[in-house]
Amino acid sequence: MKRITAIAGAALLAAGVAACSGGGDGAATSGAGTTGQTTQAAAGFQEQHKGGTLRLLAKAGDGTLDPHINYSNGQWQIFQALYDGLVSFRKVGGKAAYDIVPDLAKELPQVGADGKTYTFTLRTGVKFSNGDPVTVDDVVASFRRIFRISGPTSGTFYSGIVGAAECVKKPAGCTLDKGVVADAAANTVTINLVAPDSEFLQKLALPHAVVLPKGTPAKDQGTTPIPGTGPYKVESYNPNQLMKLVRNPNFTEWSRDAQPQGYPDEIDYNYGLTSEAAVTAVENGQADWIFDPLPADRLTEIGTSYEQQAHVNPLAAFWYIPVNVNLAPFDKPEARQALQWAFDKNALVKMFGGANLAQPACTILPPSFPGHADFCDFSQQDLAKAKQLVQQSGTAGQEVSIVVADDDVSKQIGEYARSVLEQIGYQAKVKVISTNIQFTYIQNSKNKVQLSVSQWYADYPAASNFLNVLLSCASYHPGSDSSINISGFCDKDADAKIAQAMKLDQTDPAASGKLWGEIDRELMQKGPIIPLFNPKQIDFVSKNVGNYQFHAQFHALLDQMWVK
Amino acid sequence: MIGYILRRFGAAVLVLFAISVLVFLIFFATPGVDPAARIAGKNADPATLAQVRASFGFDRPLPVQYVLMMKHLFVSHDLTSFVNRGTLVIPQIIDAVPVTLSLVVGAAVIWMVLGVGMGTLAGAMRGTLVDPLVMLLGVFGVSLPVYWLGEVVNLITQKQLHGSVFSWVPPLGYAPLSQGVGQWALHLLFPWLTLALLYAGIYARLLRGELINALNEDYVRTARAKGLSERRILIRHALRCSLIPIVSLFGLDFGALVGGAALLTEVVFGLPGVGKLTYQALQNLDLPVIMGTVLYAAFFVVLANAVVDVLYARLDPRVRRA
Repeated sequence: MKRITAIAGAALLAAGVAACSGGGDGAATSGAGTTGQTTQAAAGFQEQHKGGTLRLLAKAGDGTLDPHINYSNGQWQIFQALYDGLVSFRKVGGKAAYDIVPDLAKELPQVGADGKTYTFTLRTGVKFSNGDPVTVDDVVASFRRIFRISGPTSGTFYSGIVGAAECVKKPAGCTLDKGVVADAAANTVTINLVAPDSEFLQKLALPHAVVLPKGTPAKDQGTTPIPGTGPYKVESYNPNQLMKLVRNPNFTEWSRDAQPQGYPDEIDYNYGLTSEAAVTAVENGQADWIFDPLPADRLTEIGTSYEQQAHVNPLAAFWYIPVNVNLAPFDKPEARQALQWAFDKNALVKMFGGANLAQPACTILPPSFPGHADFCDFSQQDLAKAKQLVQQSGTAGQEVSIVVADDDVSKQIGEYARSVLEQIGYQAKVKVISTNIQFTYIQNSKNKVQLSVSQWYADYPAASNFLNVLLSCASYHPGSDSSINISGFCDKDADAKIAQAMKLDQTDPAASGKLWGEIDRELMQKGPIIPLFNPKQIDFVSKNVGNYQFHAQFHALLDQMWVK
Repeated sequence: MIGYILRRFGAAVLVLFAISVLVFLIFFATPGVDPAARIAGKNADPATLAQVRASFGFDRPLPVQYVLMMKHLFVSHDLTSFVNRGTLVIPQIIDAVPVTLSLVVGAAVIWMVLGVGMGTLAGAMRGTLVDPLVMLLGVFGVSLPVYWLGEVVNLITQKQLHGSVFSWVPPLGYAPLSQGVGQWALHLLFPWLTLALLYAGIYARLLRGELINALNEDYVRTARAKGLSERRILIRHALRCSLIPIVSLFGLDFGALVGGAALLTEVVFGLPGVGKLTYQALQNLDLPVIMGTVLYAAFFVVLANAVVDVLYARLDPRVRRA
């Protein structure tokens, strides 16, 4: 998943996003000024902090309220307090957040010996916010709905369900009758897969697989709230002004791990202030939390005068340069290797705001991410070596352009890359285009983009979410605006290894982790991607906010913040 | 006269049509904007992409898509945003209009009072120190860009002096009239002043020039000869004639601002008006909303122009035959 940056502000962000350490385990990093402060919640709900209104700010609403469709960071975070799937990520700060826990299912599913059947027993007594009980029929209907509405991940995350392939092509009549089977008497739902999938439970824990009432129409519900099972419900939503959440009267806590009750009585998400104005509002105590990344020129002030209110956490994400391996000069492996040596990653970190905000990246998989191996084959910038490699490749003097978005950081990186490319022997220029179209523009092979600057945020904690998604033949679609393998890299050997690692994930996670690390290393040598740095998230909260917890997958747990 | 009015409005409709076609074509001519790819989500499966393309009608020829969009906008009134899906475009604009109207009407009152006051003062006190001082103030107002001035006003009222002098200033944003006139006015006070300053400066300078010309006219000399008081000459005779160009300029400015030209003020002060909506839609490249707001803005500008033209024609028969 790619997320458009701060400066972009666009509402069509993507989401997922994860980080390696959360507030809860005290892993908040501290740097020049901005220090992570964490209030560790004592185990259990603290009644005395219940109540009040939590006021959140964002530049703009983040699109449809339909959890089966919305694929944006902001809405995924809010959905945590609204909806539940059969399973969920544990809702705590720290590393435990990557654990899958049973949610609407009573316990983790029984998986068949072949790894292809998952049987869930549904919890009883859970109700939607409209008062209807959650039944196995709702679960089946929800899975059908993912396909009937052509959900964004229906053809990728959930394509392994038996019958999914037909459903993706013909959404209207989708039944999944062999894929998702309910047994009302036993209160169970069985999901049959075409092939074993080690990431299936993680995919089920994402908002695209939450359980909605069976009567929910099979079309995007837009701004109309769909009843959910979480501790809150949406009372009103206007993406230009306000989203108002109030307590779900039918909610009783069934699992503190999966869906803890929230502290504030009401959550108001106000849209419209610029991030500059939002920072001031939080400083003045007029608001409690800001969604958008903070403006760089306010960081010093926050770090010095409001240190206690800032929380810094690394993200499972990276900024990178996709290198088009199908266009000259980077169709030559030596030319791509030259690029790996060409960049000073510390300089790039500075452009992003310094060590507080990012760390240099040596690998495709971010640090502390599953499969990450601690190697750094291109540790130092080495312009002489890069130049020599360019000479060897016989591409010196060719014209190269790098396409960047028009936010400040990307423009700086573009300019820096231009000077580096000149130094190593190319005629380079920067093309700056609107942030709103850059991401789709660079994906389309018709636009003949040689180099660009992009970002990727993990959808869920699995190595394949970087390596398989960004660099497999399957995600390269020539001539389409939707071709996330921006490099156009399609290598049969690498594909085979990725498939092998994904298979190994099911049986031997330790061995697969090692294999992922090797694949990462090989791909770095082949050079379809130049990782630049791994960004960090800074959350700035008001003085009255307590119990800030950073969830590695969905970021700050908003309903766990207390304001009393 | 009726014929002229009909011709004039026929031309206005043609202009609106041309603008809508232009917006539509620019959108689809831009590479990287495939709305289906953006709606389908990152890394969407090609089959999903094809489904989305078909269900939104993006696979149909452009003229058909254009006609469908216009049909949704003007006939069935159910055009929805591409980005905030399910959000109807027309209600969004209707929601935003009261905010923009509140901002623009309030600011207009302030700038008319200030502009006319300053212009008259400078014109009447010509030759004294007051004239250049007032005009300097006017230039000052004209030369401060709204987005900069707004940020500085925010810096002072929301931050530097928020703890002391300006602790009474409410947070940025809009308070509808339903929360009481007091809150409404308090939230809008600084946006009004910020927006009004620019126009007050322009109007003051314009009025001063007109007034000085008028004061040299024969009819003023006649009035003086008849022994009228200077004040009466200034207010009843000279100012009255000088106001005619001001009023027509006001018509155009007001039309443009209601149409969304107060965008910068709205963005800086977090007011969810038409300008803000346009800004947001442009940021997201949300074609239906851009189309809606651009046509809305163009409508007001064209309407204001047409009204002014018709008024001129009413006043000056020569225009009708032109």
